[in-house]
Amino acid sequence: MRDWRTLVEQRLAGLALERQEKDEVIAELAGHLEEACDGLLRQGMSEEEAVQRAVSQAGNWRDLRHKILSAKRREQVMEKRIRQLWIPGFLTLILSMLFLTVVLKLGLRPRIVSSGPNGIFLYMPWLLSLPFLGALGAYISSRADGSRRTALLASVFPPIALTFAFLFMFPFSATVELITGRPVDFSRVATVLLKDGIGWIVLPAAALLLGGLLAQLLSSAHSSSRDAAIS
Amino acid sequence: MIAPGIKRGTAELAVLSVLEVGPLHGYEMARRIEEQTRGSLRFTLASLYPLLYRMEKRGWVRGAWETSSSGRRRRCYRLTPQGKKKLTPIRAEWSELFLALKRLAKVTHA
Repeated sequence: MRDWRTLVEQRLAGLALERQEKDEVIAELAGHLEEACDGLLRQGMSEEEAVQRAVSQAGNWRDLRHKILSAKRREQVMEKRIRQLWIPGFLTLILSMLFLTVVLKLGLRPRIVSSGPNGIFLYMPWLLSLPFLGALGAYISSRADGSRRTALLASVFPPIALTFAFLFMFPFSATVELITGRPVDFSRVATVLLKDGIGWIVLPAAALLLGGLLAQLLSSAHSSSRDAAIS
Repeated sequence: MIAPGIKRGTAELAVLSVLEVGPLHGYEMARRIEEQTRGSLRFTLASLYPLLYRMEKRGWVRGAWETSSSGRRRRCYRLTPQGKKKLTPIRAEWSELFLALKRLAKVTHA
């Protein structure tokens, strides 16, 4: 018996829809082809001939993929992106900034790793809070039907935003140099970025990602136990 | 055979009309349209499903997974009240077009 599902899956590879939506489209089209093939077999065609005819009746697969995508996503793409990425991402960013402000207001001292002028400042209570915030971002994104990748992206949104802010330092410094005529020491800027990058980007990103991954793990364990209960 | 450009315009009417009779899955829908138009209107996957998804998004039809007596899972489409409401003006438009063509080019329709 022909594996129609795999055939459709292969022909529609690259169909950029959410996993569940894509699975449904694939199942529906595979069902259609299966019925078409059965109909042709009933008319007395050989299996090989029937399969070939059914597949050819499908038309142009590339065209089909493009049309499905445009029919499914045209109006929803922005709305979905906002619910699945921007809202959870900005919420994670705002909450992490708020918590950092609270930590600073409380006067909690940072732990300084390595001595000298290049010491890295680590606000431990803040860093410890980040896995929870990352998990929250991933959870909200998943609730809005965000894919695994989008949910993880939402959980690490704060360091991504910060990276862009940090990278902005180079054109900003170049502009300052151009306007004031005073040379900017770019190696110093790079050192500061690297040093701060570890404490403000790399470690927070790891903490947030850890939370995001745990949330994903918990939610997939929850959904598989729910599926088992249903079946 | 009807040219693709004309077919595109008639596709919505064809789908809404067959669904008016009762819920159908995609393959059966395509089969009935072909049968009832004596092969003049034939739907491929590329012409049927994007249209169904667009109509579903507009709220004219609603698709739901159902299991047939043979155990196969199929997505069946039903006409929504909004779709039923839409069918009347579409029919009127086509009827008006046929009348206009008849007057203009002596085109007749059954």
